[in-house]
Amino acid sequence: MAYGVTQQMIDTYGETVFKLSLNKQTRRGDAVRLLDFEAIEAARAETGLTDEEIAERIGLLPEQVSVVRVFTERKHHKIDQHRRIFHLGGGKRWKKEEYSNPVERLHIRKEAMMIREALNFNPELAQRYIEKGYWINETLNGYLLEHAINTPDATAIIHPGGDLTYKEFKTQVDQLTIGLMELGLGKSDIVAVQLPNILDFIVSYFAITAFGGVMQTIHMPYRDADIEFLLGHSKARAVICLPAFKEFPTADVMLGMKEKLGSLEHVITIGNNASEGAVALESLKIEGEPNIGNPPVGSDPFLLLYTSGTTSNPKGVPLTYQNMIGNARLSVPEFHMTASDRNISAAPFSHLYGLYNFHVALCAGATNILLPAFSPPDLARTIEETKATTVFLGPPHAASMINAGLMEAHDFSSVRFSMFSGSACPPQLLETYRSNIPGTKIGQLWGMTETAGATYCRDDGAEDIPLRSAGPAAPGNEVRIVSGEDGAPLPAGTEGDLQVRGSSVFPGYLDNPEANADAFTEDGWFKSGDLAIIDDDGNLTLTGRTKDVISRGGVKFNPADIEDLIIQHPKVEQAAMVPMPDPVLGEKACCFVTLLGEEKVTLDELCSLLDDKKISKNKWPERLEIIDEMPLTPTRKVIKRRLIEKL
Amino acid sequence: MAEEFNPEEVKKACESYVKKKGALAFGLANVETLERIAPPGCGPLSMLPKTKSVLCVGVGGGTRGSWAADAKTLAYIGDTETMAYRIAYGLAFYIEAKFGYRSIFVPPDMNPEKGARVPMQSLKLHAEVAGIGARSMAGDILLHPEFGMMYYASVFTEMELPPDEPMADNPCPHPSCVTLYEQSGQTPCMRFCPVECLSGSIGEDGKVEEMNFDAHACAEMSQQYEAIPSVLLDTLDAKDPIERGMALHGPENQVIWYKLSIGAGELLSLCYECMRVCPITQTAPMANPVARGAGMRQKVVEAEAAARVEHEAEQNGVKGG
Repeated sequence: MAYGVTQQMIDTYGETVFKLSLNKQTRRGDAVRLLDFEAIEAARAETGLTDEEIAERIGLLPEQVSVVRVFTERKHHKIDQHRRIFHLGGGKRWKKEEYSNPVERLHIRKEAMMIREALNFNPELAQRYIEKGYWINETLNGYLLEHAINTPDATAIIHPGGDLTYKEFKTQVDQLTIGLMELGLGKSDIVAVQLPNILDFIVSYFAITAFGGVMQTIHMPYRDADIEFLLGHSKARAVICLPAFKEFPTADVMLGMKEKLGSLEHVITIGNNASEGAVALESLKIEGEPNIGNPPVGSDPFLLLYTSGTTSNPKGVPLTYQNMIGNARLSVPEFHMTASDRNISAAPFSHLYGLYNFHVALCAGATNILLPAFSPPDLARTIEETKATTVFLGPPHAASMINAGLMEAHDFSSVRFSMFSGSACPPQLLETYRSNIPGTKIGQLWGMTETAGATYCRDDGAEDIPLRSAGPAAPGNEVRIVSGEDGAPLPAGTEGDLQVRGSSVFPGYLDNPEANADAFTEDGWFKSGDLAIIDDDGNLTLTGRTKDVISRGGVKFNPADIEDLIIQHPKVEQAAMVPMPDPVLGEKACCFVTLLGEEKVTLDELCSLLDDKKISKNKWPERLEIIDEMPLTPTRKVIKRRLIEKL
Repeated sequence: MAEEFNPEEVKKACESYVKKKGALAFGLANVETLERIAPPGCGPLSMLPKTKSVLCVGVGGGTRGSWAADAKTLAYIGDTETMAYRIAYGLAFYIEAKFGYRSIFVPPDMNPEKGARVPMQSLKLHAEVAGIGARSMAGDILLHPEFGMMYYASVFTEMELPPDEPMADNPCPHPSCVTLYEQSGQTPCMRFCPVECLSGSIGEDGKVEEMNFDAHACAEMSQQYEAIPSVLLDTLDAKDPIERGMALHGPENQVIWYKLSIGAGELLSLCYECMRVCPITQTAPMANPVARGAGMRQKVVEAEAAARVEHEAEQNGVKGG
């Protein structure tokens, strides 16, 4: 360093030099004006010295003092102080408590940046979405605030504990927001939630996102291993859960995770009391209005959902407001949703579908009805009691109500519109459902965690469309069918790989470069992994999963049709076919079944059935495995990966 | 016979000159006093060895409107200190031309070899010794009971004129500030400083007992030149490319480059290709300086007046018909 100055010299003399220089000035009395030369000399002994004077005082060369001083000044210097000037004058006076340095106020923890770095949108597409108005600056809490101001007394939530107006709902959210922020949670921090569709879920959701946090959902049936994977992967800082769920000691398990995972800092359990090491949710509800320094904006991530993992480990899907809330806002006019609607979801809020339809109702300023946990009687009773006007459900929900005779037993006449999604929709089931509610409209929606509501039926098409298809693309989205061989687009009516592109499509998986490399085409189409057909009018019909395709001697076939036939066998309850390795043909089909009763079924019996149905022999299963329970995701999709592992 | 040199008359003439040019205050500082107080090498003699007089001028600070504006606007408007330099510059020429004594004008500048914020010449010290300002609680900013805050400039001359005395009283602290201090322990300037760089005490006699000024903290906020090397060093240190880019291109720091580019010459907004091809700019009769010089303006005015008269006559004729 110059002039023989060392870092040690800077450390040793720096602060002394700094203080003796004009960086710090002290004046006692008014010596100069009074020409009190003695006092002037005395003052100069303390501060305000030139480098030469300092050098003389402390025994360095003046040039060395300059170096020491400059490096010490550099250590002290904060380059962003001038921002304070922008908060002065014009009738304003400086108030320290009202100012915060934007660099500090808008700081995001390094760990929290992980989810932001996963937002990897195609720039050209993003520009288009903004120009078209698909992406605007909207947030979950922005809608809540809007309704709390404009329609404060309108009912926001109906839940088993009563009704909540938008104003009351906002108050509860504000209170919990303060409490969560006092835990030190901030922008882009991930807070996991494992709760049923109860009020605490919704209040937590809004409170987490109010301060810019990201809610990660954990399905209620998930247990230790699943939870550990999910919390470990997301690096969630907090989890909100039940103290216990049925036989599962949720809080204890979560506290164990806190010990095991370095990233999990807070376990919050609902209610007033919490076990040692956990925090009671009610204790975090603090009166007042939160002071949010770094509020969320439309481009922020706010949701982290995980795929159900039918083919691999669950993958983290970050979603921005523009993805998800934009998708909901654009759906409002399509569903003719208005503030007078009362909307109910049979799907869990831990799943995209449940949140999607909650968002649609929120955007419309409508009322959301909470069904804590689905049971056919509870759904039927709640629809009747609350006079729900819109119902979002899956085929199994409808089937169970129909089978139990609940649709005849309850008054469903308030329901003007029902949307089905989640699994294959047998037309007969939908027809039966519709016939039970005279005058009602029905539709199908196709979406994935990665796509939100990608396609859905409108009510202006032919009556049979909702029975056989999930309608055309949602506003802002495009769908196409391509060849599985070369990716070339296929004509209408041809089965092929379904791809989707649009404003609701996710920006890439969280911390999963391998999956990301395979997820999108170069021009931004998401490879859904589904097989489908699109008709001449753009209506989409799903036919199976590309990853389920079995390639027997190079001849590929979709086993979904075969599975549908096999479950028609009187002894079979569920069936799933997976490929098994074969040294000659590469792959052959193995069929896993669960039985309806004690009586076993044989491979020959199944093949005989397929023969009767004129199914070509290459699609017949060549091995049969009878299992007690089919591995299912919470959304009742067969986890074929687990079946393959059994081979 | 040469006119007799009357120092008092000359002093008045100088005062009259600067006040005509817009100065509010004028005074002379004692050179010996300055030499005694200024650090070695920082007195007037170090700059003009035969200095006999130091003439100080003070010009007004912002207008009432600018004080009412927000600080960002105030920064945009700029201060009035350049007016003080212009007057001092003129005064130096005036003395040389009128009285024949060598003079230099003294603008503010730093002496980088001397240390942190050590000025080439302390204009503050000149003005205080000349009796046109007294040190305040606000980091020793000079105040004047009649003109408040002023900007100062000096002229050194080899002409010997009678010096003035420092002000008999210091207007700071104002009685209301003393009251506030007694109530809260702070004067308004201490209380509202955005970087809390001021502190001190007022004695029972209502006079400043001690004034502490953290000049470094003040400069961090208000002196962007302090920030430039730090910005560059932060840029070099930044590992993250976004952080690095923002260090240079952040909207706040862009002000630095903007100011620098103005100082760097004519590289700012001087393309004007748009105006070169603009038909209005190129055909407006008075746009051409040659036309202006040739008395075209009068001809155009006359032609326009004649056309107007003709037009009105035509209109009247139509109406009459």
